[in-house]
Amino acid sequence: MRKRLTALLLTLCTVISAAGCSLLPEVNPAGSPGETDGNDGSAFTAGSGDTTIRILSGSENQELEDIVSDCADKAGVRIEMDYQGSVDIMRELQNGAEDYDAVWPASSMWLSLGDSQHLVKHSQSVSLTPVVFGIRQSLAEELGFTDGDVSVKDILTAISNGKMTFCMTSATQSNSGASAYVGFLYALLGKQEGLTSEDLQSDDLKTQIRELLSGVDRSSGSSDWLKDMFLNGNYDAMVNYECLVIDANEQLTAEGKEPLYVVYPYDGLSIADSPLGYVDHDDDQKEEAFLAFQEEIMSADSQSAIEATGRRITANGVSEENKDVFNADWGIDTERILSPIQMPEADVLMDALNIYQTEFKKPSLNIYCLDFSGSMTGEGEDQLKEAMSQILIQENAEKNLLQASEGEVNIAVLFDDEIVDVLQASDDSDAALEELYNEIAAAQPGGGTDIYTAAAEAYSLASGYDLSQYTPAVILMTDGQSVYNESVFEDALEAYDSDIPVFSITFGDADPSQLEDLAALTDARVFDGTKDLTEAFRSVKGYN
Amino acid sequence: MKKRMIGLALLIVIMLVIGGIYMAIGRAPQIITVDGYVGGEKIELLEDEEVQAILEEDYGVKADYSRAGSLDMMTADMDGMDYLFPSSSIAEEYYEDLHGSPEQSEIVLNTPIVLYTHQAVLDAFDSQGLITSSGNSYYIDMTKLVELIRNDTSWADIGLPELYGNISVDTTDPARSNSGNMFAALLANVLNGGQTLTQENLQTILPQLQDIFGKLGYMETSSSDLFSQFLRMGIGAKPVIAGYESQLIEYAALYPDQYETMKDDIVMLYPTPTVWSTHVFIALDADGQVLLNGLLDEDIQRLAWEKHGFRTGNYTTVSESGSLNAQGVADTITQVTQVPSYDVMKEIIEQLQ
Repeated sequence: MRKRLTALLLTLCTVISAAGCSLLPEVNPAGSPGETDGNDGSAFTAGSGDTTIRILSGSENQELEDIVSDCADKAGVRIEMDYQGSVDIMRELQNGAEDYDAVWPASSMWLSLGDSQHLVKHSQSVSLTPVVFGIRQSLAEELGFTDGDVSVKDILTAISNGKMTFCMTSATQSNSGASAYVGFLYALLGKQEGLTSEDLQSDDLKTQIRELLSGVDRSSGSSDWLKDMFLNGNYDAMVNYECLVIDANEQLTAEGKEPLYVVYPYDGLSIADSPLGYVDHDDDQKEEAFLAFQEEIMSADSQSAIEATGRRITANGVSEENKDVFNADWGIDTERILSPIQMPEADVLMDALNIYQTEFKKPSLNIYCLDFSGSMTGEGEDQLKEAMSQILIQENAEKNLLQASEGEVNIAVLFDDEIVDVLQASDDSDAALEELYNEIAAAQPGGGTDIYTAAAEAYSLASGYDLSQYTPAVILMTDGQSVYNESVFEDALEAYDSDIPVFSITFGDADPSQLEDLAALTDARVFDGTKDLTEAFRSVKGYN
Repeated sequence: MKKRMIGLALLIVIMLVIGGIYMAIGRAPQIITVDGYVGGEKIELLEDEEVQAILEEDYGVKADYSRAGSLDMMTADMDGMDYLFPSSSIAEEYYEDLHGSPEQSEIVLNTPIVLYTHQAVLDAFDSQGLITSSGNSYYIDMTKLVELIRNDTSWADIGLPELYGNISVDTTDPARSNSGNMFAALLANVLNGGQTLTQENLQTILPQLQDIFGKLGYMETSSSDLFSQFLRMGIGAKPVIAGYESQLIEYAALYPDQYETMKDDIVMLYPTPTVWSTHVFIALDADGQVLLNGLLDEDIQRLAWEKHGFRTGNYTTVSESGSLNAQGVADTITQVTQVPSYDVMKEIIEQLQ
């Protein structure tokens, strides 16, 4: 009886106080609601309003940072941007995109594929840019690509005849890579439309596409980074957005180098429509702030500034004031009707992406250099072992499209101030990879740290393989506190005459400065393994 | 024990104080907020400030929404939802099939399925004898169009070499969104000689329908996304799409400046025959019913036509098109076939998945 009375009273109390609350002024103790900063490591921040909009964006928008900054100021909104490939953005959306208030992938296809939870509202296309081939001008002329219509088949022939090497982004991470890949599939199948999952099983196709992808010098997880890699390297061609080829050309010509000629393959074109959409997590204040920011981005001034970066703002040509940006000498054709290929239906597309990862792309040669020095004891060691379980246990790897591809080689070099052990998975099977993980998990840290000797050892191991058949990568997993022994690695670089990238994933109480030097020497990158390991792995595997 | 009694007594005192304040200030206006799933094509209507004002002032209701495809929403998580607002009677029957009778449901709006295209494509279709016109409105012969699609006729074959690939109509995914679903219904009827497809001929027509949809590749899941991509990405990207008549009327009414720049290029084609998309409002609870009543308000129905292009729930009403900013809108929709029954459509959806 008393219990029931208490319950009743409590209910009553709740009801009345709830009613009472609505009469009180809004209590807002610490700034605006939802202001919690779960994302202090954002790649780019701008503006200073009360409300923060966290945007997950394709890397191609990195070039728009000044414009974004302006718009954030005008709208009185604070913007935090993180960059990922569009396919990764799709996955983030599928998982609810809790850490983001907006998404800005390269193409709206990834929004509708990812929005299984119906979170996206107010999506608007910010700009348009086609995915094209940028080919060294003299080579494009030599290959006859500067006059008349060029087909994907023409380009593929040049690649398989060894006349042209090219780089593209990873089809399983980035929109430009996925679009180009679909174009290749159609061309090799001799189809124009209606790609099916059965088509993908064809042995002929498998042989041809593998041969083709063997011409991929290095692939990258995102389009903007691909452009940087292209500028630093010595490549013939890249598949990228027209706007990023324009950007690359501006830098190339400024350095007195040969620009790229833009080729629009009539049977392999796609258009990125750059949709900026709000991700609804039930926060009206954020929604308002988003709309204010979006209005600024879509304003005539911003649109014109965006066009000046080489992006198109309408399907019908470009404005007089920005005409010079779209330089016709580079093959850029703003009069041409952009008629894209048909993207396959959703299930077939997902099948195509899976098969790219597991069967089509060049197998990776992964050499993990694992820091088992004393400073890793505790947190660092735990994080490292956990990371290896994410990549080597295939059940985990599959969730993030990180599973081992056919013919993949996985080696682990355990080191402290010297090489402790070299372990290798006997083949690409799930069991062999798990066995490798178990051996790693059993190891214990101790001793000093020398990352240079470990990296040099990795180079020596890699030299035992025919590297033209693999995409090799050295992945250093360490806290980065090493003795300076750089000459050992420089000797190895020279001795093996290869440019295998040395990526680093940092753990524990990391000091990335030495790792950044190594990455810079080999055109690689350093990732923070404590923030988003999956992203780091996806990046490393995409980039290799 | 005593302590607990004191605690309780304290609570009661607090309650009384709060209750007293509440009484003293008097009753605040009660506005209920309802949440539901809405097909993308009706979002502008719900976001319309005039519509919102009538709903709040006269009916005391504020409509929140999540966007979802008409069929998708039937299987979505309905926890905390007060209503569903899909765009076809099929979706409503689908609901009943899955969940039983709803609290209340009613046809609130109607709009026919149309095709949108560009002037150059209109000219090419016209040269093939597909087009007739009446007043300012254009009509396309669906039997002939379907024939061109089934024969793998390329755009180049009808004089448009600048467009890549074969003639096709972009549509939303018929398994997930209504405009695609209604377009599939229309194609099914056209393939069936212009008669509403029934169980009898279903097995003959299905393979032909699958063949047409098999050629379409990736399909958007929302008609509003498809329409904005159509407007945005030019003739090359989306030469022809299937959509609702309401979409152009609304766009021209809400964005007159943008419409002005493209109205010489954008063309609406009424398929002969066409089908109605009936926007049925499904109230899941009493709060949802309040919104339903509001939406049937005469002024809201008028706004729905003039600003958002929806004809009223009554099929036979003649809607004055003269006051609309959009070009080529017909006063009445006469050549209509009935959408196949739910059983037939269910099988079509399953087979197209």
